[in-house]
Amino acid sequence: MDNIMNLMEGFATALQPEYLIYGFIGVLIGTAVGVLPGIGPAMTVALLLPLTYALDPTAALITFAGIYYGGMYGGSTTSILLNTPGESASIVTALEGNKMAKLGRGAAALATAAIGSFIAGSIATVGLTLLAPTIAAWAVNLAPADYVALMVIAFITVGALLGSSVWRGLTSLGIGLFLGLVGTEILSGQQRYTFGLLPLADGIDVVLVAVGLFAVGETLYVASRLRHGPVALIPVTRGWRSWMTRDDWRRSWKPWLRGTAIGFPIGTIPAGGADVATFLSYASEKKLSKHKEQFGRGAIEGVAGPEAANNAAAAGVLVPLLTLGLPTTATAAIILSAFQSYGIQPGPQLFTNQPALVWALIASLYIGNVMLLVLNLPLVGIWVKLLQIPRPYLYAGILTFAALGAYAVNFAIVDIVILLVIGIVGYFLRKYGYPIAPLVIGLILGPMAEAQLRRALQLSQGDLTALFTRPFAAVCYIALILIIGLGLWLRRRQSRLEHALAAAAAADTSVEAAVNRMWEPGQRPSDVATSDIDVVKPRDGRDSR
Amino acid sequence: MSAPTTPAPGSGPARAAGASANRSRIGEFIFAGLALALGVFVFAGAFAIRLPAAGTQVGPRVFPFLVGTILVVSATMVIVGVARGKVAELEEGEDIDDSARTDWVTLAKIVGFVVAHIALIEIVGWPIAAAVLFGGVAWSLGARRWWAALLIGLALGLIVYVLFGGLLGLSLPSGPLLTWLDPLLRTLRG
Repeated sequence: MDNIMNLMEGFATALQPEYLIYGFIGVLIGTAVGVLPGIGPAMTVALLLPLTYALDPTAALITFAGIYYGGMYGGSTTSILLNTPGESASIVTALEGNKMAKLGRGAAALATAAIGSFIAGSIATVGLTLLAPTIAAWAVNLAPADYVALMVIAFITVGALLGSSVWRGLTSLGIGLFLGLVGTEILSGQQRYTFGLLPLADGIDVVLVAVGLFAVGETLYVASRLRHGPVALIPVTRGWRSWMTRDDWRRSWKPWLRGTAIGFPIGTIPAGGADVATFLSYASEKKLSKHKEQFGRGAIEGVAGPEAANNAAAAGVLVPLLTLGLPTTATAAIILSAFQSYGIQPGPQLFTNQPALVWALIASLYIGNVMLLVLNLPLVGIWVKLLQIPRPYLYAGILTFAALGAYAVNFAIVDIVILLVIGIVGYFLRKYGYPIAPLVIGLILGPMAEAQLRRALQLSQGDLTALFTRPFAAVCYIALILIIGLGLWLRRRQSRLEHALAAAAAADTSVEAAVNRMWEPGQRPSDVATSDIDVVKPRDGRDSR
Repeated sequence: MSAPTTPAPGSGPARAAGASANRSRIGEFIFAGLALALGVFVFAGAFAIRLPAAGTQVGPRVFPFLVGTILVVSATMVIVGVARGKVAELEEGEDIDDSARTDWVTLAKIVGFVVAHIALIEIVGWPIAAAVLFGGVAWSLGARRWWAALLIGLALGLIVYVLFGGLLGLSLPSGPLLTWLDPLLRTLRG
């Protein structure tokens, strides 16, 4: 009951016009950023960090929460209408969503993604509301050794399990941990790896690293192999009210709920964000569907489930972030550093020390979800326009704002130089397949992990076994072993699935393939329904054209 | 004057593909080698960290040793992997042409414009430096009319300058050409 009172007070704060505007700005920017290729929520939060120093913490955090949620919605629009998604969590959506769009059912795909995201986001936010205070109350009793265990899990899962290459992920993590070492060490005041340079004594600014890697590195990488020519965008039929047929609703509501049930718990455990959740949801929908033959050719369940899972996981990620101070995705890591820049340390004490702030934040998530549904359903046309910005101008703009963001941290030219250097490093990381997220997590979580590790060993008088003998820590390490096993198994399944899908696409006699042969994307007349298309199966082998 | 996209004469597609695969492998070795060197440096550098006089169990050196170890081990494993033919799997992106070869000329141009931006901020002020950056990068990426890109960049620079200075109270340097904007900012700030 206490929590409900707190939440009501949170709503009272978040519904004040000022905070409503900040929340709206957040979801607006977040959606735009999610739609635009080349920028993600992590970079946007990093970029806006210096600009929000003028705001009070509540306003800034409400804005960031809006960006975080908005980015998840926007990503689905891009992957449905453009294929080849930017965020890895949207890959699965692209599988079915883009096929649906090519069949002229783009509107239904967008609608099921948006409504599914809304439902999943709302349910998962309720989950966050109920779960977070309980976990926070319990986590007060965690000892430093337990935190070390949790952080090891976060490092290993984000570093080793999420990318395509275990050792590249760990290398990236190591680089991030090293960047976190640079500067003055907290406990003894020693300078480490500063080369006696004054600008390095305070450490390397998270904003510079995140913007450098995500914006400059990404822009350089895209520039090095830019796809020239017009953007192959699939237009959406008008009239959003008629987007989803009764049949679409019937086929969507169960995947929405299942996606939520899969996404939220996976987001909650420090085993790495939304990608795993979307993939699991896709696999289970495929297994349970009555329309198995449509999978790989535009099955609506394959959009509804993963999109719901994606958003539910995004809310789930906030549980360890708020209650333990443990970020499990790059965006969460940067939101954590935003908290820290206001002198607020997320963790068990957050709910007792800053109840007004944290409940206003949670309330703003409910409000943001409603705003996003409105922004994404009737206004999708605007976002589609954003996708058509000529790429030279888009990337020129990204780079200009990146330089501005770096400069605005301290108004020091040297920061733009550091930004450029980090950007060039980011380019090579990207070029040689090193994931960026472990680096950001290492940079932000590394110093915290070191502090906890040293505290733990101080308490145990240097006895290393103390790190493993506390019950919770022991459970964590056992779980870690299970997660590694499960992760390797899942990855094998995922690559098998991808191979199967590629094979299915190659040997395709479906309606969708027929449509692809007949019309260029978007050229299909709107009065031709899918049921009108008669697919003649070639008798001996396929058309070898 | 658009970005050069045509491959160098004399390199057939097959030859180009083979050569670029080889070259990217050398690049992978160099990059992983640098990561390995960083690991060695972190490890060796840890000895240079002064220990506080009061002997605590876990000093400021322990974590650097760990980080150095992680870097050395994982970079070595990457090198071993590349040597066995496990080249990087690249992420896809909306605007990335997987079949294109790395366009170093465009990259050099963009880096050059960022450097120019850095050099110009304090001489001509932020709005004009931003216009140079925006226009230059758009032109490097193949925008058809460079002057349009420059004008858009200038408009963007001025809008950001006024918004920042006027509403957020963050003063970007105006430079000698735009001092006439300052009274406007003062009135905006109220």
